[in-house]
Amino acid sequence: MPLIRPFGINEFWIIVFAAQWTIALSAIAFAGGGIGGLLIALLRVSDAKWPRLVATGFIRVFQGTPLLMQLFLVFFGMNIMGFAINPWLAATVAFTLHASAFLGEIWRGCIEAVPPGQREAATALGLRYYNRMRYIILPQASKIAVAPTVGFLVQLIKGTSLAAIIGFTELTRQGQIINNATFSPFLVFGTVAAVYFVLCWPLSVLARRMEIRFSRATTR
Amino acid sequence: MTEVNANASAAATRGTSDAASPWVVRMEGVNKWYGEFHALKNIELSVKRGERIVICGPSGSGKSTLIRCINQLETIKNGRIVVDGHDLTAGGRNVDIVRQETGMVFQQFNLFPHMTVLENCTLAPMKVRGVSKAEAEKTARKFLERVRIPEQAEKYPAQLSGGQQQRVAIARALCMNPKIMLFDEPTSALDPEMVKEVLDTMIDLAKEGMTMLCVTHEMGFARQVADRVIFMDRGEILEMGTPDEFFGNPKNERLKIFLGQIS
Repeated sequence: MPLIRPFGINEFWIIVFAAQWTIALSAIAFAGGGIGGLLIALLRVSDAKWPRLVATGFIRVFQGTPLLMQLFLVFFGMNIMGFAINPWLAATVAFTLHASAFLGEIWRGCIEAVPPGQREAATALGLRYYNRMRYIILPQASKIAVAPTVGFLVQLIKGTSLAAIIGFTELTRQGQIINNATFSPFLVFGTVAAVYFVLCWPLSVLARRMEIRFSRATTR
Repeated sequence: MTEVNANASAAATRGTSDAASPWVVRMEGVNKWYGEFHALKNIELSVKRGERIVICGPSGSGKSTLIRCINQLETIKNGRIVVDGHDLTAGGRNVDIVRQETGMVFQQFNLFPHMTVLENCTLAPMKVRGVSKAEAEKTARKFLERVRIPEQAEKYPAQLSGGQQQRVAIARALCMNPKIMLFDEPTSALDPEMVKEVLDTMIDLAKEGMTMLCVTHEMGFARQVADRVIFMDRGEILEMGTPDEFFGNPKNERLKIFLGQIS
C-alpha cells in the first residue's frame, strides 16, 4: 500500500460529508447563542445597573479576544477544572458563548432601534416589562434583526473551522486529514473552501435580500 | 359598618386616604432636573374630577414634561404627585395602578405598527386588565365607532392617514377605561386639514365629562373646552385661569408676548 494515495472521488466525498459536523456545530452554537444572546441583549438594555454591567463585560471579553483564544481557553480550562478532554464539548461550549456575546450585541442594537415612543406608549397603557418586551419591543426588534443575524450566522459557520485546531473533526480538520494522506493541498483545501462557500453563499444572498426588503419596508 | 371597613381597607391598599377627594390630580412642590437643567420648578397643580385643563407655552417650557410626570413616564426629583388617591412618589404598585387609570395620546401617535388597529386597541385590556378577547374586541369596536373609524379596524397603522392614526390612538387609550386623559400636543404632527377631525374627537370626549389635561397650541380648542388654561415658561407655571381671564386679561408679561406671537 503506497504511503501517499491520490486525491480521488472517495476523498472528495469524505470531505463533503464532513460538512455535516460543521453544520451540526454551527447549528448548536447558533441555537445556544440564540438563547444566550437574547438573555445578554435583555440584560444589556435593563434599567438596573448591575445586569447591564455584567452583560457589557461579557460582550467586551468576547469581542476583544480572538475566537481561537476563546476556543483554547474553554478547551484547556475545562481540562483544568477536571473535565476529560473532549473537543466536541469544548467546541460547542466555546462557540455557544461566542455566539451569545455577538448575537447579544447585535440584538441589543435592534432593541434600541425600536423608537422610544413604542415603549412609552406601551408603558402608558399600563403594560409592564414582560408584556412590553414580548408584544411590543421584541416583535419589532426581530424584524430589524433578521438580516444582521443571518450575516452573523455566515461568520459563525466560517469560524467553526477553528475547531479543527483542538481536534474536532469537522470540514477543515477532515481536509487536513485527507491532505496528510494525499498531499494534494491545493485540491484538498480548494474542495474544503468550495464546501464552505456552498454553505455560506446562499445565506449571504438571503441576508442581503432581507436587508433590501427591510430598508424598503422602513422607508415606505 | 362593613362598607366603612371596605372603604378603609381600599384606601389602605391604595396607600393614601384621599381617594374620595374631589382632586383627581394633585402636584405639590414638584421639581425635576435633566442634569443641570431645571425642567420643572415648584409645580403646584390640582385638577378636579371632570376638569379640562389646557397647558400652553413656548417649546422647552416643561409642559410635556409636566403631563408625562402624571403617569410617571418621567420621574421627579422631589415633591409629591397624587393621582386619584394613589401617591406616585410612594412607589410600590401605585405607579402601575395610575398608568392603568390614565390614558395618554402622543404627538407622534405611537401606534404599534406590527398590529392591526383592533389589536392595538385590545392588547392592553387583555394583558393588563385580563379582559377576554371577545369582550376587548367589543369594547374596541365601540370606541372606534366613537372616534368615527370603525371601518379601519382590520387595517395596519401605516395604511391610515395621520388624523386617523391619532383617532385610533385616542380609542386605544379609551379602551382601558381611563379616569384621566393626557394629551401631549396631539395635533402638532398633523397636516392642517387633519387637525379638525382630531380636535372634534377631543371635544366630544370633553363633553362626555372626561378629565383631560392637554398640552396644545390650539387656542381655539382651549377657548372652547378648557375650564382652566395654564401658561408655562422655563419650567414654571406663570399663569392659570379660565379662558376668558387668560385670553381676555393676561397678567404675566411673558404670557402677553406669547399670546401676541401665536395669534
